[in-house]
Amino acid sequence: MAGARGRPLDARILIVEDDPSIREVTAIGLRGAGFTVSTASDGREALDRFHAEPFDLIMLDVMLPIVDGLEVSREIRRTSTVPVVMLTARSDTIDVVVGLEAGADDYVKKPFEVPELVARVRAALRRAGRQPDDAASLHLGPMAIDVGGRTASRDGRDVPLTRTEFDLLVELARHAGQVLTRDVLLDRIWGYDYLGDSRLVDVAIQRLRAKIETDPANPELVLTVRGAGYKAAR
Amino acid sequence: MRGVRARLTLTIVALVVLTAAILGIGAYTFVDSRIHQGALDDAVLQARFDLAATIPDRFTDRTREAFIESRLADTFKGRGIDVMVDFGDGDPFRSKAGLDPELLSASLRDSVAAGQLAYERTTLAGERVLVVGGKLPPDGPSFYFVHPAGTLEATLDQLRLALTVGAAALIVLAILASRLVARGVLAPVDAGSRAAERIERGDLSARVPVTSGDEFGAWAERFNRMAAALEETIARLRAAQAQNRQFVADVSHELRTPLAALVAEASLLRGDLDSLPEGSRRGGELLIADVGRLRTLVDDLMEVSRFDAEAEEIASQPVDLGRLLTAVSTGRLPEARVVLPAESVIVDTDSRRLERIVGNLLDNAREHAPGAPVEVTLAVASGAISIAVEDRGPGVDPARLERIFERFYKADPSRHGGSSGLGLAIAAEHAALLGGTLTATNRAGGGLRIELRLPVTGSLLDGDATAIGRGDGEGRSTFHQESPT
Repeated sequence: MAGARGRPLDARILIVEDDPSIREVTAIGLRGAGFTVSTASDGREALDRFHAEPFDLIMLDVMLPIVDGLEVSREIRRTSTVPVVMLTARSDTIDVVVGLEAGADDYVKKPFEVPELVARVRAALRRAGRQPDDAASLHLGPMAIDVGGRTASRDGRDVPLTRTEFDLLVELARHAGQVLTRDVLLDRIWGYDYLGDSRLVDVAIQRLRAKIETDPANPELVLTVRGAGYKAAR
Repeated sequence: MRGVRARLTLTIVALVVLTAAILGIGAYTFVDSRIHQGALDDAVLQARFDLAATIPDRFTDRTREAFIESRLADTFKGRGIDVMVDFGDGDPFRSKAGLDPELLSASLRDSVAAGQLAYERTTLAGERVLVVGGKLPPDGPSFYFVHPAGTLEATLDQLRLALTVGAAALIVLAILASRLVARGVLAPVDAGSRAAERIERGDLSARVPVTSGDEFGAWAERFNRMAAALEETIARLRAAQAQNRQFVADVSHELRTPLAALVAEASLLRGDLDSLPEGSRRGGELLIADVGRLRTLVDDLMEVSRFDAEAEEIASQPVDLGRLLTAVSTGRLPEARVVLPAESVIVDTDSRRLERIVGNLLDNAREHAPGAPVEVTLAVASGAISIAVEDRGPGVDPARLERIFERFYKADPSRHGGSSGLGLAIAAEHAALLGGTLTATNRAGGGLRIELRLPVTGSLLDGDATAIGRGDGEGRSTFHQESPT
């Protein structure tokens, strides 16, 4: 299975996990898939390593000694857009929301199987390395989106968006007026090719609205389609 | 309680009425007889004296003219007494118009004619009077002395009135007093009743104030000791239960980390099973399967302890039930047949919980009716949605049927499947959280039917499927809000 998709064969991954068994088995699995793996057992060590050398993806346990995973994620996000995948023991909505708010791009619920984890890591790397297939400018109401430059602005003012939020906005704007189901969005944005957690979509949509809508409670740009999914206003 | 109050009041009032009646009537009778007797004695004494001395002195001729001449009538009038004199000739003397011996009773007149001194109480000329009659000896005319009794009677009337008013006032007073007394006496009972009511509503801290050293005080103390014992026992039970639940939560939580390692390790092992020597391979397979069982058990225990912690939130959003049922069936039991109504059914509900319920029902069917056909049916009845999972398996012993939603209950104790024994209990808890119910019945043709009934909240039969829900509160917040589009 190693490197079947070809692209980031030698991608460097930092695994931050306090339980030695999980840390080791995860490292074995990812190395077996062809990645270069470093490990850290607490938040402080993770940040030291992150600042010392470059990584293509950070796999971060939420519950960590010394500095917790959310704090580590926030710290990383101050300087970097490197993909962060959270490992969470609880799959409560609250944890998902808090993780995404701390800048994580995706999360994997414990317990996980190694192939599942490898698939998610690949999807995240693919997404991060994805070159824009066109350099077009898109518009959504007052929003101007520079796809190639990965920037969005509203009435000339820059709106800072995370990678996930930006991808979501581009996907919706490209298909303005067309309903996109949660499954379609999971597939296109997160690269899930199986039934994923649709709350990931709902939370990301909410966070996107908070940034681009004048009144997030009464959205005018990104609309909910009852019982189906979401669509961008035409 | 009202009964006692009424009886107490009635008893006290009855006693007061009786006492007042005896005293009043007794007093009145006594005064009445004394006053009348006194007036009579005076009148008789006077008549006797007048007939013996006053009249014979000044009235010797014994004729009508001589009597008028004697001016005795004026003398009597001066004393307030009117007089009639019957000379036996049908023309009596009358000191005042309206008087007439004929108006007196025959028995009085006969007695007087027979030379006796006699009296009568009667009404003459519209006035109540005491008449004393006597014959002037030895054979003179009959004299009738008419004493006015009006003031006397008026006095007695006043006395009667005063006594009646007094008695009435006494009764009113007695009613008020008895109510006060009743309230005082019954206050401890009321307090006890209120405290018992509070305990009944679950406030075990309710106590009765101990206000006296009498029987009620002792009773209140006894009541309070009982309440305290009850409170302590329940607190102890609750603490034990909480401890129990916390233990389950802690155990399953502590199991999570090694379990997460086990699951990841087993998944690595699975990829390499083929390269293991024959002897180790079977062991590896069993290990992987058992890790799966352990995972199910720990997941279910975690879920159960979340229910026990009552930390559950409902995240409602519009759900297309047909799509959900198809998706869950495909994932859990692809052989199951899904029967849907012609039109799509969209309701506001928590899709994750619904998936869990249906998934657990399908797991149960797969486990207890292996290989048998399974059917999932969605139906919309008035006011409710019904989702039924039916299998053609052996069904469940009717005696055990109602217990299958209990935790760790095994309808067939000989079966050791991969399930935790918590699946149906968890499904029932989720159903309750969604406001619905789960019921199990045996199918007529054999097999088990478990039906989930959900109340309809904002159901949409097809046609509104593209309506835009605005201001939705998906994701983190809990309830989906609808606003008119």
